[in-house]
Amino acid sequence: MNASGIPLKEPSVSAAAADAEQVERALIDASTRVPVLMFYTSAMAWLIIGTLLAGFVSFKLHTPDLLSDISFLTWGRVRPAHMNVMVYGWASMAGMGTAIWLMARLCRTVLRYPLLLVAGAGFWNLGVLLGVGGILIGDSTGYQWLEFPHYAAIVLFVAYTLVVSWAVLMFRFRRGEQIYITQWYLLGAFLWFPWLYAAGQLMLFVVPVQGVLQAAVGWWYANNLLFLWFGAIGLGTAYYMIPKVIGRPVYSYHLATIGFWTYALFSSWTGMQRLVDGPFPAWMITASIAATILTMIPVATVGLNHHMTMQGYFPLLRYSPTLRFTVFGAISYTVFSVVGVLISLRSVARYVNFTQASIAYSHLGLYAFFTMVIFGSMYYIVPRLVGREWRYASLIKLHFWASVYGIGLMTLMLLAGGFLQGENMENPSLAFSETTETVLPYLRGRSLSGLLLTASHFIFAYHFGLMLLGLGRTSTVPTFLNPVEAEGSEAHL
Amino acid sequence: MKGLAPLFLGIFGTFAFSWVGLTLIPNWQIGHLDPQMEEDGSDAYPQPQSGMVERGAHVYAANGCIYCHSQQVRADYAADDIERKWGGRRSAPRDYIFERPVFLGKMRMGQDLSNIGARVPAEQENAPPAGAPSPAASAAPQGGAPTPGAAPPGANPSPPANAGSPPPKATASPPPAGSPPAAAGSPAAPSASPAPSAPAAQSPKAPPASPSPSAVAKASPAASPSPPAGSPGTSRGASPSSPPPKAPTGPAPKAPLASPSPSAIANASPGGMTSVSPGTPAAGAWPVQTTGEPPMYSAAWQHVHLYSPRSINADSNMPSYRFLYQVRRISDVPSDEALKLTGSQAPPEGWEIVPTYDAKCLVAYLISLNQSHPLKEVRSAAPAASPPAAPGK
Repeated sequence: MNASGIPLKEPSVSAAAADAEQVERALIDASTRVPVLMFYTSAMAWLIIGTLLAGFVSFKLHTPDLLSDISFLTWGRVRPAHMNVMVYGWASMAGMGTAIWLMARLCRTVLRYPLLLVAGAGFWNLGVLLGVGGILIGDSTGYQWLEFPHYAAIVLFVAYTLVVSWAVLMFRFRRGEQIYITQWYLLGAFLWFPWLYAAGQLMLFVVPVQGVLQAAVGWWYANNLLFLWFGAIGLGTAYYMIPKVIGRPVYSYHLATIGFWTYALFSSWTGMQRLVDGPFPAWMITASIAATILTMIPVATVGLNHHMTMQGYFPLLRYSPTLRFTVFGAISYTVFSVVGVLISLRSVARYVNFTQASIAYSHLGLYAFFTMVIFGSMYYIVPRLVGREWRYASLIKLHFWASVYGIGLMTLMLLAGGFLQGENMENPSLAFSETTETVLPYLRGRSLSGLLLTASHFIFAYHFGLMLLGLGRTSTVPTFLNPVEAEGSEAHL
Repeated sequence: MKGLAPLFLGIFGTFAFSWVGLTLIPNWQIGHLDPQMEEDGSDAYPQPQSGMVERGAHVYAANGCIYCHSQQVRADYAADDIERKWGGRRSAPRDYIFERPVFLGKMRMGQDLSNIGARVPAEQENAPPAGAPSPAASAAPQGGAPTPGAAPPGANPSPPANAGSPPPKATASPPPAGSPPAAAGSPAAPSASPAPSAPAAQSPKAPPASPSPSAVAKASPAASPSPPAGSPGTSRGASPSSPPPKAPTGPAPKAPLASPSPSAIANASPGGMTSVSPGTPAAGAWPVQTTGEPPMYSAAWQHVHLYSPRSINADSNMPSYRFLYQVRRISDVPSDEALKLTGSQAPPEGWEIVPTYDAKCLVAYLISLNQSHPLKEVRSAAPAASPPAAPGK
């Protein structure tokens, strides 16, 4: 299909109205500039640090003697450091940056109280820095996803309080009665996260629950962080970016409502499936497995909604970087959920429960889905903050393909390796060390995928740096991945 | 969607539902378990951690052991953990009531460790670091069944190394000190049989049958002077201020210790030291016990393994934890604690490698990991469930 006939810019009703709207938007975008760029820049720094740590972790896993004599570089410390940098440094900060910008736009009001956000970003960075430093010097709490020592957790919580109070204030100043779908998700994310974080901290450290319940609380926290914090921001962003870029309303509000509420209801009940066959009352595990299966409802409705919105506009994927990243992320959300259901079924979990497959699952959710959506949103938002367009289409393409092949290869390697590892582990006639040997070739493959992702992140960071320095293109036309002229649609620009 | 109220209520409600459902209700259901004990209050299990063991748990957390090692045994119908000899029964919530943090784990790039302490060989019992306590506690019930006590309680010649340390506040009330019997004689039984089949002998079913021996074993610490130093009763409480064992005490470097199954603990008796030694060679496919190394799973072995995993198992994928050890010049006489390393790993002449305090705590913690004590609410695996088919673990 030829791209002609498809608007590459937002349709304008009348010149005057459009101008007024343009000016209003420009004012709003300008007001978000400092805080959002602050969140984005910090996030990019953490992304690079996290990527370097990730490569180190990946290589050490199949080369255990690599720098193992230094206490703060031992695998068991670098791994949680990597995980926490990615979760709290990169993903949370980039997600908050996008969420803040979307909030301002959707509330149709200039960003008020920017100091709250600037202070929030500062404290958040401090918290992550303290936390990662704490893990490396051996202060990890030992709870997965909550390894940050208490002194870092407190700082993070303070930082978050600032951000969320800003979000609630913004809501009070919003204009217009209609609350758009994206706002439901963002409001949910902003309100769920502090409760989740506080509940996790409280039940693990302040008034700790007994024995195995700590693990239950831990996985409940981890899964809800994945779904209700990252997932909600990711889905909300996709709901904004896809219709925005193609200039067409969401296919169905009704479907979106169903999708949102079923998502909130079912995905919050997942988590215990990761403890399958562990020392817990069976009902807890079963409830979570059932909830995981039920998340197919929001997956189907959200997927259908996006698909129908995109219907007929898929050729635009050829041009718009934002759309390409966002649609890839939205599709990955479906893949992530389906894999999640598969590996939670008892008959499968028996094999993959203690293997690399669960790492594949986390990466599908945090990278293939969330991070790709956020990359997409950054390609949309950053030019509007710095007043320049992305300089090189080629770099965007490289970034995209390196990310896609990287995460694709990683997922395949970890899933395949995990299944084999699990199968061998369930074969007691094989010595245990053989089961770990089985997975080593796949881990080397994963390291290879890590190189691709590293390249992609450095490319993006370089490009982002150019934008920050004001070295982007000065142009009224966004940077397209492929020259639109070739298709003969200049008329629409 | 119009209006904020429904949105807020919905966001609040869905999350509250999950919070109550997945954390508060389970907390009400299994969040306040007590240790299991006999009617007279003896034989309490599990016991609170303390001292070095507790510190060891933090070393375990700090260095991320949890990212490769799980600590849970799944039921025999759900997985083959029991067949792999990772435990005699599935883990239950009660096993973990004193654990903080709890290290259930999510990955097995390394073995499951829930019963690593149960595999400590008999000699270990004589060696001090209270780390070794747990086996004793659990050994009794099991060992009791098969063999009548033969070993004289006081027979143990080894120094009560932990004498200096405060006696564990074991549960055992009345120390029937005189009779660490049942377990004592038993070493012969398990040791005689090759490891694989051993689990049968140790069948966790035995316990109810023999309440008394268990009480005995526990009691021993109280009776401090005579009893085997190694059996300070408490499974977690071992208060270990003393150094780690100088592993290969006696002539028994290659005993039956290979048996990864809890059966090993049956050996946990004073008499074991001598009677066991010449026993069968290790039967497990891994790790292969070679002469000259400390007995497998003993504290000394754990130290060598932590320091240089591949000197014990060339296929191991575990990183070395050398930073927990100190290389120092031998000042006067070589330290008892020095690692027995051979080949390229060995320190240069005149130097020795000794564990730091953290390393000792970590090993004490590892040795305290033991879920072989039967629980009333858990069906123990039938002896038949572990055919000798699987020497590997």
